[in-house]
Amino acid sequence: MLFSLVKKDFILGKNYLLILLVFAVVGPIYMTTAINFSSGGFLNFFPIALLIEFMLIGTVSMAEDKYRGSTLLCTTPYTRNSLVKARYIFILIIFFCNYIIYTIMTFVVPIGIDKLDVFTLGISLLFLIVFFGISMPIEYRFGYEKMKYISLCIIMLFFFVVPNIVKWLISNNIRFKISIPFSPIIQNLFPYVLALVIGLISMSLSIGIYSKKNL
Amino acid sequence: MNNILEVNALKKDFGTFRIDNVNFSLQEGCITGFIGINGAGKTTIIKSILGLVIKDSGSIKLFGKEIDKNERELKNRIGVVLDEGYFYENMTMSEMKSIIATAYSKWDESVFKSYIESFKLKLNQKISTLSKGMRMKYGIALALSHHADLLIMDEPTSGLDPLVRSELMDIILDFIKEYGKSVFFSTHITSDLDKVADVLILIDKGKIMLSEEKDILLDTHGLVKGDKNVLNDHTRKLFLSLNETEYGFEGITKQKTSVREQMNGVLIERPTIENIMLAYIGAK
Repeated sequence: MLFSLVKKDFILGKNYLLILLVFAVVGPIYMTTAINFSSGGFLNFFPIALLIEFMLIGTVSMAEDKYRGSTLLCTTPYTRNSLVKARYIFILIIFFCNYIIYTIMTFVVPIGIDKLDVFTLGISLLFLIVFFGISMPIEYRFGYEKMKYISLCIIMLFFFVVPNIVKWLISNNIRFKISIPFSPIIQNLFPYVLALVIGLISMSLSIGIYSKKNL
Repeated sequence: MNNILEVNALKKDFGTFRIDNVNFSLQEGCITGFIGINGAGKTTIIKSILGLVIKDSGSIKLFGKEIDKNERELKNRIGVVLDEGYFYENMTMSEMKSIIATAYSKWDESVFKSYIESFKLKLNQKISTLSKGMRMKYGIALALSHHADLLIMDEPTSGLDPLVRSELMDIILDFIKEYGKSVFFSTHITSDLDKVADVLILIDKGKIMLSEEKDILLDTHGLVKGDKNVLNDHTRKLFLSLNETEYGFEGITKQKTSVREQMNGVLIERPTIENIMLAYIGAK
């Protein structure tokens, strides 16, 4: 059942999949040349992944808002819970597809794109989950139209401002180092666990909001 | 006959509009027409039954079970056609079907294909390019392809030409022939109900005005026409609605015997469903 609902989201976003695939390929190359600084791959990968997710989720949300197809789906045995869960699974699938494409690019492209280690991937996932963990319940509560403006501002902020902030920090020799007093395995797992917890909390909130909504 | 659907003390307050203490039931094997003017509350009640609108209070039982607690099981037994379709219009009919079909445990692809063929639809066609009649037929095909026991339709004939409306009524009559099937559909086009309905439920301003078998309703009510001089304060009370003109009057009564006894020279005809509906909702 969840598979069909995730498939539904892919079908709704299918017109943009090719463009976003191109962006997933070209984006890391641009970011590597724009930043010209090693961040363990985070700044090359995360902004691109976030923007692709934002555009794809936005497309799907816009289609849902416009056609209200979920109303018909809710007259079938699909539950409102499963509709919400499928959306979160869709977000995760897109993230990991981005990761796969990025990893392929690190091997294929000769300009030396930073490879993502487990910890950096975890941090990227965590930041993504924090973003959608906040925006998804807001979207379920207030609707796509109100949510898109807030999301767009945050995305643009991250995409264009953060690289410049990083450059400034580097030029002033300011570095941040956070050490977690556990073994490397635990340190690597920590962002994934945190992402899972935040994701589950967000999903529960979204389910609660959507279950009370008049369709 | 069993009650296939029971609605008890249903309430929903939107602020500007309210569904107030609605009670009715649907009998198995019957076609029940849910009539009322625009804005009466038909869609709200149907959406409440389907869980699309969250009720404030009341109970809704389908096949003897609370729908809140047995949602998946009960929705497997209902086929739904909504007025606005609620299809993803950028999908093809085939894509939309692939999502809907997997929801049902008894989806029957051969039944679906036979409906699509008989309706002359092309599955690879985008839903946005379908006419209103084609969308309704597509919705019917989806609703009837999983061996549903109850077909719920919200204004299925709205905006359709007479030929398509007639085809839809024939589909409903075909569906009901099978034992244990029931149909519940809302409409403000009462002529459709003349053809197919067994039971009528009239709603106005969020309240049920009447719930009765169609034949009994038409037999117990009369359309009275006559001269104005037979009207007085006493005889006026015999009417649910009265329309007086310079030349005479026309009215709906539920007291045909009293009218015959007290009003000489009047003509009592069999009313239409529309006459009765307008009488109960207070229009002339």
